[in-house]
Amino acid sequence: MTPHEATRPLLALSVAGLLDPEGERQVREHVSECPECAAALGGLAALAAGLSALPSPKPPAALLARTQARAAAQLAASRDRRSGKLLALAGCVCGWVVSLATWSAWDAFGANPALLIWLEFSMVLGGVTAAAVIRRRRRLERSMS
Amino acid sequence: MIYEAAIGQDFPVAETSAATDEAVRFRRRDPAALTAAVARYQHRLYRYLLRLVHEPATADDLFQQTWLHVARQIHHYNPSRSFDAWLFAIAHNAAMDVLRRRPGESLDDPDPSAPWDAAGLATQPDALALLITAERSAIVAAEVANLPAVYREALTLRFEDGMKLQEMAEVTRAPLSTVKSRVQRALECLRHNLTARWRKEDLL
Repeated sequence: MTPHEATRPLLALSVAGLLDPEGERQVREHVSECPECAAALGGLAALAAGLSALPSPKPPAALLARTQARAAAQLAASRDRRSGKLLALAGCVCGWVVSLATWSAWDAFGANPALLIWLEFSMVLGGVTAAAVIRRRRRLERSMS
Repeated sequence: MIYEAAIGQDFPVAETSAATDEAVRFRRRDPAALTAAVARYQHRLYRYLLRLVHEPATADDLFQQTWLHVARQIHHYNPSRSFDAWLFAIAHNAAMDVLRRRPGESLDDPDPSAPWDAAGLATQPDALALLITAERSAIVAAEVANLPAVYREALTLRFEDGMKLQEMAEVTRAPLSTVKSRVQRALECLRHNLTARWRKEDLL
């Protein structure tokens, strides 16, 4: 392969700024001696300059506001899902602790109506909290659709 | 000399430290950072999508779809990586899904032995100079739109968005050598098409 043939594919990479220093040196040395490649390089460089100066299409004005609103709602939903997961985790830990405590108390004090009431109350409270979290999430998802 | 003038110019800078800080705040689910990020990237992202899919209505949909996906998946963003590349990779996937379903649109790399090989590079260099100096950018934009999708993408990411090779590879999930080859062949193909279609006399 002649230096001319070896350098030709590098011309486009040179104007794109994607050549390493060695390749760049090879191009510069060759174009200083080869008018054909110098002309080709000039044409490609003009094209590269033209591409980077192409007029940029403007997004419609309403698109920005609409996207910001919908993405913000999505972000809030994502944050809510995360806090919901944390809440569920906290609920599990609490339930586990209450179960352990109840078990120990049952063993220590025997069958006690107050203990049963407390157990029932804890379960109802947990259920109400879970329902409230699910309802809030559904409302948020409805508002986004 | 045109070559030196063009080489001397810098392509647009892709990402700033302000954008990175914003991305970090956005990752913490700060709504103000999200609003700022959408505004900051609106022109670049919309242009990228429009260059790929051509139709404004489709670009609008993809723009929204991209940001909704970003808002949903922001916890997956790694702040040590480029936010630009992460954002554009999401947009790339969304756009490729649309283009894949479009009849007549190929997402494969074109045959490297196509007739616009580098051998014909030296023809009519003056016509190209005229294209940029005589406000013929609409012609260039139209010819870019006729290129295969992978070439359109390579040109807009490199020359309009000023992305580095590594970032382009992250966006397109292609090896560095493939990205380099696409940029090279896209430029040669564009140059061939322009010089073949537009004679110097037509541009005067």
